[in-house]
Amino acid sequence: MSAQATTSGDGNDAIEDRGEGVAPPGQVTMVFDLNKCMGCQTCSVACKVLWTREEGEDHQWWMSVNTQPGLGAPKGWEGMGGGWQDGQPVRGHQPSREEFGGGWDFNYQEVLYGGTGNATHLRPVDHGDGTTRWGMNWDEDQGGGEYPNSYYFYLPRLCNHCTHPVCVSACPSGAMYKRHEDGVVLRDESVCQGARFCMEACPYKKIYFNYARNVAQHCILCFPRLEVGVAPACARQCPGRLVFVGSAEDAESPIHKLVHDWEVALPLHPEFGTGPNVFYVPPLAPSRLHEDFSIDEETPRIPPEYLESLFGPKVHAALATLQGELARVRAGGQSELLETLIVYRWTDLFGRYTTDPATLDRTPDRVPVRLGRTSGSTAAS
Amino acid sequence: MGTLTVAALDGEGALDPDDPAWGTVTATEVPLVPVPFDAQLNAYVRAAWTGREYGCSGPVDLTLAEQGDRLLARLSWDGSADPLGEFSDAVALFFPPAAGTAPPVTIGTRDEPVSLWLWRDRLPVQQALPSATQLVAAGPGVFRPGSANAGVSARSSRSGRRWTVVLAGPRQALAARRVGVALWDGSNDERAGIGAVSAAWTEVES
Ligand code: SF4
Ligand code: SF4
Repeated sequence: MSAQATTSGDGNDAIEDRGEGVAPPGQVTMVFDLNKCMGCQTCSVACKVLWTREEGEDHQWWMSVNTQPGLGAPKGWEGMGGGWQDGQPVRGHQPSREEFGGGWDFNYQEVLYGGTGNATHLRPVDHGDGTTRWGMNWDEDQGGGEYPNSYYFYLPRLCNHCTHPVCVSACPSGAMYKRHEDGVVLRDESVCQGARFCMEACPYKKIYFNYARNVAQHCILCFPRLEVGVAPACARQCPGRLVFVGSAEDAESPIHKLVHDWEVALPLHPEFGTGPNVFYVPPLAPSRLHEDFSIDEETPRIPPEYLESLFGPKVHAALATLQGELARVRAGGQSELLETLIVYRWTDLFGRYTTDPATLDRTPDRVPVRLGRTSGSTAAS
Repeated sequence: MGTLTVAALDGEGALDPDDPAWGTVTATEVPLVPVPFDAQLNAYVRAAWTGREYGCSGPVDLTLAEQGDRLLARLSWDGSADPLGEFSDAVALFFPPAAGTAPPVTIGTRDEPVSLWLWRDRLPVQQALPSATQLVAAGPGVFRPGSANAGVSARSSRSGRRWTVVLAGPRQALAARRVGVALWDGSNDERAGIGAVSAAWTEVES
């Protein structure tokens, strides 16, 4: 993985420091425990209803859960390029509206008012632009492997608020920046000229284009919530209680322990070189079955090489650690790692972001939504 | 380097590119060159455009006219065969600062930013967006929003591949008495610093 230590040579020399290559001490970090994700998309919907209900945002899913193995969304995103290699940005493909798919209109009129409700059914209206042939989790439950050893798991994906955000570097107008106080990667939409180099450069393809407004858009990590101590909506709404939020630098935090001490939480595609700040506990799987349906204890059902293709070579040690801790508990022992992953108390997930949003003063002039790029705190009064 | 005379144009209709009044004024042909690759300030843009051709469109036929304190610019060129893909055809007229000495090919520099009047073809879903914007350009693609009430507007017409656009704005933009032109072929994914630009300033006299 190549590290971009400074702004020099990245992006435009003419633009002020945009926080590239800097992991600020307060970097907000997330860990998703994939062993608990059930693919319910509550996280996706929580985000959708909060942030992407305006014009031009119908196809946007800043948070989305893909079923693995699969082509994901946008279709085939892992092969679209972008990221860093040997300190240089890599040319990427700008996903098309068709490759994202989704954002469909439905034939409500026909079904509900057209008098043919008994003969027709609800379906997306095909506008001829290909968008009805893909969607945010089109390959749901397709999975991999052959019966009786088929397998699948879910992979929640959002912007990784990377330490070396190639999207920021690629923006010639300087609309994008990484906040020094918490490492959130943001875009000043009033500056964005719609050039979409960020979309090409992001190797995770988590930037969308708002055609109606001619601006790119992506996950803002619920920064107005973070500023008042509320966890991002995807994390707080997750019924699986698997999304940790906090600082990887706080030695006492579960995130620090999962990422640095136990090393069981890994970034997705570390080879992309952007230094993601979203980590995943890789999925364990049941053992394979032999042809006579006896259990093959030695072989995991999810091929380790497939997990390595997602999370890099460290995944093998992470899986071994998890297996070892499970064995210890099965033998009657204790495991601090498993206790941490079980999350007995919901609020243990959220570090210092445990404020209940229902307790906030929502008087409009008290809502501390800050869209500028100055640092300094904006506390609820 | 051409010299262009600003015509006085009467009549309400001059913002209409097809207004017959424009037929009474002779246009000046402005030749264009690709924005130099070596001048691209952005490492990603250089990585993405290495070995790709761009900036081959133009020339632009340019006519300037004044109406009171308004400057009208009529620009006409052969656009993309297939407009309204991912990126749109666009044209800009830009003005150096009064004492500006930098050449136009980089569309402004950090020390001498130019004021840029930009017209961009709009998708059907973009019709609520302004017809034109004023930007401050400090290099290839280093475009920042200018004044929100710069009073810049545009109208366009298309006949076959031929675009004709009239940009209108405050006459004081011409203080340095020279203009540059930039052009983007949307069907070639051109935008920001990837496009064609006038190699020399067009000098303007009233
Ligand atoms: S995931 Fe993509 S959009 Fe988000 S910070 Fe990283 S490079 Fe930028
Ligand atoms: S809400 Fe939680 S369990 Fe449901 S899909 Fe999202 S991360 Fe998985």
